[in-house]
Amino acid sequence: MDKFIIAGLEINKTSLKELFFNKTMLLAYLFLILGFYGVYEVFDERYFSLTANARDAGLNPGSREVAMAMKEAIFGDGGEVKREAPWTLYIVNYMYMIYTGSAIIFFVALAELFNVQIIKKTAAGFMTFGLSMVFGGLFTIAVDLNILHMLSMFLTPNITAGMWLMLPLYAIYIPFVCFEIYLLLTKNKTLVKKIAWIILLISIVIDLVEYYIQAKLFDMNTARHLWTTYPLLTLYFIVSAFVAGIAVMLLYTFIVYKEKLQEEFMKLVNFLRISLLYCIALLAMYEAVAYLFIDKKWGAIILFGEFKYYFYIYLVFAVGLPFLLNFKSHTHKIFIISGAFFAVIGTYIGRYIFVYGGNAYPMSNRFGTGFEKYSEYEVVKEFLFFLPHFSEVLVVIGSLGVVLAAYKFLDTLLSVSTVSQEH
Amino acid sequence: MNFAMALDYQNCINCKACEIACKEENGVQLGADKQRIWVGVTENSIFGRPILSLYPSQCNHCVDAPCVDVCPTNASHFADGGLVLVDQEKCILCKGCMEACPYDARFVDDKVAAVDKCTFCFDTRISQGKATTACQATCPTKVRLFGDLDDEEGELVQLLKSRKFFVLKENEGTVPKLFYLFPEHDDHFAQNSIGHETTIHTWETFKPLIDMAKAKRSKQWTSL
Repeated sequence: MDKFIIAGLEINKTSLKELFFNKTMLLAYLFLILGFYGVYEVFDERYFSLTANARDAGLNPGSREVAMAMKEAIFGDGGEVKREAPWTLYIVNYMYMIYTGSAIIFFVALAELFNVQIIKKTAAGFMTFGLSMVFGGLFTIAVDLNILHMLSMFLTPNITAGMWLMLPLYAIYIPFVCFEIYLLLTKNKTLVKKIAWIILLISIVIDLVEYYIQAKLFDMNTARHLWTTYPLLTLYFIVSAFVAGIAVMLLYTFIVYKEKLQEEFMKLVNFLRISLLYCIALLAMYEAVAYLFIDKKWGAIILFGEFKYYFYIYLVFAVGLPFLLNFKSHTHKIFIISGAFFAVIGTYIGRYIFVYGGNAYPMSNRFGTGFEKYSEYEVVKEFLFFLPHFSEVLVVIGSLGVVLAAYKFLDTLLSVSTVSQEH
Repeated sequence: MNFAMALDYQNCINCKACEIACKEENGVQLGADKQRIWVGVTENSIFGRPILSLYPSQCNHCVDAPCVDVCPTNASHFADGGLVLVDQEKCILCKGCMEACPYDARFVDDKVAAVDKCTFCFDTRISQGKATTACQATCPTKVRLFGDLDDEEGELVQLLKSRKFFVLKENEGTVPKLFYLFPEHDDHFAQNSIGHETTIHTWETFKPLIDMAKAKRSKQWTSL
């Protein structure tokens, strides 16, 4: 294929049809359409739902809109965000996408540092997919953080807030990862060799800082004891993200590298499989110990209460099944694929428990004499759980579209998934 | 100045006049679950005998408020008098403050698409030199008393000096400024309406906590 060369980067001369209307892109568009319908639903609920206050009622006697708004206020489901559970599926998906994408990038950087040749050959593809997952996470959080108002983040920043720290971090992190991918693609061996260690070390430091800030974001919610009592939250995020990240890398390997790597394919699969086993073992050890430290009210709800089935499914999917299916070295490929698939689903459920679990124990037991009602028209709840709103599910599907579209766009132009022969 | 409120919750009859007055005066979105102030209700029983506790509630305007720390845009901020306010123009609806508040005192006002909470009637009363809030003014059983903790001779401090009281979730370290007065002459009511882990304070035991937290936070108080 003909190529442009810009700053040493070979860019494929591809037609617009090939760039934007290949099979992967069409699937991405389908997901994106669903996602943007979800965004429409969110914004419709956020900005255009009928609302009224006493002044509206006083100034517009007999108004049908005011009457409908009052009816909605009483019989509706109370707006987009519930007082008792402000963080929901958006945060779950944001965490999952960002952490898993970062874990892939982190893992590839570590493997390069330890001179793992098979990862060096495939690093650009993995890193680009990891970066695409970061974009997917940012899409979700942009909807949740109300992108229309985000200018205030820059006009009046509170730079010590965990949430604000994320923005400058991404402003460094994303260009930095792009630079790493650029170096991998340009095969600028002299420069790469000169600065490889520096780049890798900085990359690892930035990855660690990212996980630390993510942990701080949750740890600042002093009233939500599930998050504040999790021991070594940064470590937990890294370990669980590595399980998810390596599982995603395994699935990616089966889809992308089966033909391209040929005889080295199983070498890559086995390296990832063994890495996954180690990470699962670490996650299992962490979970076994962590609940000794967690606030007993939250621990009871998750381990023995209304969240227990989610927790068991999480353990079986994220730890049990992937470990069993990947334990033997010469297992059939379908076992490895299934194991990776279960790990992806399981770790997502793990994030779900973590975010929803933080809200599970009501704050309303303020006097220590029992829970108070959150809603005038509902019974008293001893635990809080809401199924995600349909629009949230659509936004999550849309984030998958972002991942696929970003990755495929870069791959079509830069052939990031091509196996590097430079190592 | 350091604004605060004492609540003689034993007197609350759940008439909801305070909720209505607040909505009317502050233009709060209509809807039973969209409240700056509310009456919390718990239902228990001992040997089949029902026990109902009523807890008039609102933002605690904590001296060491966690909601201010997590706000990425400084929309949630401290103002003169130790008020915890929300600048709704700056609020991006990240909901971080709602997660951080141990008292669930914040909600999303869908009319302005921003987080809302009690302001101690700053806009409508305090800024105009009035000495009461709408909820205090309308309460038929005199549950609330608004005042200034720095005014040792003021009615609020005098009340706190004469009565025992407790605050909510003291172990969260927020140093809240809603003081629930320990029920007088009714041990039975006190036993049933106060949790076992609650610390009962006098003015002498609690004032140092306020002073310490104020010294830490008053630098952040912005002029109104």
